[in-house]
Amino acid sequence: MFAYQLRLAWKSLRRNPGLSILSVVGIALGIGVATTFVTTYYMLSGNPIPQKSDRLFYVQLDSWSPERSYDRDRPDAPPDQVTYRDMVEIMKSKIPTHAGGAFKADLTVHPAGDGQKPFRQLVRMCFADFFAMFDVPFQFGSGWDARADAGPEAVIVLDDEINRKLFGGGDSVGRTLRIEDRDFRIVGVLAPWQPLPKFYDVTNDAFDAPEGIFMPFNLVRPLEISTAGNTSNWGDGAGEGFDGFLQSETVWIQMWAQLDDEEQVQSYRAFLDAYANEQKKVGRFQRPLNNRLSPVMTMLKDQGATPEEAVGVLIIAILFLVVCSVNLIGVLLGKFLARAPEVGVRRALGASRRWVFVQHLVECELIAVLGAVLGLGLAALGLELLNRMFEAQFAFRLDLPMVGAGVLLALASGLVAGIYPAYRICRIAPAMYLKTQ
Amino acid sequence: MLRLDRVAKIYRTEHVETHALSEITLHVREGEFVAMMGPSGSGKTTFLNIAGLLDTFEAGTFHLDGEDVSRLDDVRMSRIRNAKIGFVFQSFNLIPDLNVFDNVDVPLRYRGLGARARREAIEEALEIVGLTSRAKHHPAQLSGGQQQRVAIARALVGRPRLILADEPTGNLDSAMANEILDLLEKINSTGATVVMVTHDPELAQRASRQVHMLDGRVIDLEAERPAPLAAGHSAAARN
Repeated sequence: MFAYQLRLAWKSLRRNPGLSILSVVGIALGIGVATTFVTTYYMLSGNPIPQKSDRLFYVQLDSWSPERSYDRDRPDAPPDQVTYRDMVEIMKSKIPTHAGGAFKADLTVHPAGDGQKPFRQLVRMCFADFFAMFDVPFQFGSGWDARADAGPEAVIVLDDEINRKLFGGGDSVGRTLRIEDRDFRIVGVLAPWQPLPKFYDVTNDAFDAPEGIFMPFNLVRPLEISTAGNTSNWGDGAGEGFDGFLQSETVWIQMWAQLDDEEQVQSYRAFLDAYANEQKKVGRFQRPLNNRLSPVMTMLKDQGATPEEAVGVLIIAILFLVVCSVNLIGVLLGKFLARAPEVGVRRALGASRRWVFVQHLVECELIAVLGAVLGLGLAALGLELLNRMFEAQFAFRLDLPMVGAGVLLALASGLVAGIYPAYRICRIAPAMYLKTQ
Repeated sequence: MLRLDRVAKIYRTEHVETHALSEITLHVREGEFVAMMGPSGSGKTTFLNIAGLLDTFEAGTFHLDGEDVSRLDDVRMSRIRNAKIGFVFQSFNLIPDLNVFDNVDVPLRYRGLGARARREAIEEALEIVGLTSRAKHHPAQLSGGQQQRVAIARALVGRPRLILADEPTGNLDSAMANEILDLLEKINSTGATVVMVTHDPELAQRASRQVHMLDGRVIDLEAERPAPLAAGHSAAARN
């Protein structure tokens, strides 16, 4: 029976192509806009590392001033980064499966090729564990090892874009690249990798692209590499000289730990508390004990990593879809009521009200499905437009869940638009339309 | 087959009440061919709509084929219409998008029959009305007489026991009208009850009984009691 109803619905659409196109385009516009912004929201607020987000913990230690809170709006929140000296100490723990601090620096790259000028490049200073901890994909080579961390050795990992820029996208492992005044050996090249949001460091902009070069953290001291990210300090400020900065109460490092089970979490929490209590004895950590281990999604929420604009745009997009659906109600009502004589005949021949109702809903849903196909095409164009507007800062794309969401939105819109017209047409008195047509 | 007792139908607007049927009592026996006559507005079509379960009524009782159908829900009434009643209308009321075959198919679709059973029934109905060769034509490609024959095929394809025809020849010339009457008589001869509304006294003469209506009342005393069945019109003769 459904096949028959679908056939009738298709015939009905072909009977009045202008009105049908209007209806389909109406739904398609709504779906196009809504799916574009639902996808945007989904990608901006989605889980950037779903396979292990509940095992990756952002570490916060409350080393802040006893006289004022770190964040005026959230007085209970500890600083969102840690000091160098605290990072060095808690890195000594063997409890986490992986752990490490990181920050971004801004260094000068001197390409070896003819005609290529030196350029400034954001570099992530991190430990070997960074790659394993965040499941960073490689296309050539791999990350460095713990020995390179300890050295520290002058090794680097390039991302796909820099590798294309400097080495034409080929296997550059083993080659060298001059950064500032030192040559670095390339040990690995990443496959394209752009977690959204850039969860491992949301302190500046959660939607920045990842840095193009990765370098052992411990080169910080010998090369006196400064951070290009946020720094916050209190007390004696940033200290004198580079060593003074490293020993100061300045927070500037993002600290992460991979803890694979609850026992590990409890142990590491106890370790951090013990460390904080030890520090209290030497006059630091004067605020109440307030260390935090936050899984990825909790951290993103705490740090407000989903832009408020995205939520606003999402609401507007959904409202736009509702307006399109409501507009369609009028179109469908006129179309269905014009068909009252045929419905009268069908009722006389044995169609129940329920059958007539379902028949017309099938037609609405057929319009919705056609609208979804067109609308998803519009959404793909819209997302491409957004990608170009933001110059590849984002890589919005329609993935399978979003295509499914678009189709579901379309079906829901068809239902919303169709229920009242279908109800009206199924309630007509057939006798009124049988005498004259 | 039809037993209406003191059935009243009133159309109400804000200020006016119109008594379309004033407590009419009318019995039609199975296998009869009844012609309903009367001037416009006399209540013939209202009667036919009630008899076809297409309209409700305010008072009285209505038994169709022995079953009290006075107060049934929509699903039950739809089933009865589909199974027991065939309609023939003055303006044919074919669905223009559907070809002849698919138009005749419509009532069978609501019966949930398989494709083969439907095809056989449709081919048989088209053969009865002599339109087998036109199965793929659309209504617009047919003459008025042919369209009405399609409508008759649609009415009889489900083997209903009651055919209700509302001025079936009203839009046809006399030659076509006689052809249609021939068909209705043929259907009646198989045992189906036929109730036909007409303004044409000549055609009405071909029915086994005439019922006259005026101002919502049956004015022909003969209508109050069933007439003796004509030869060959026995209910038992059907199939």
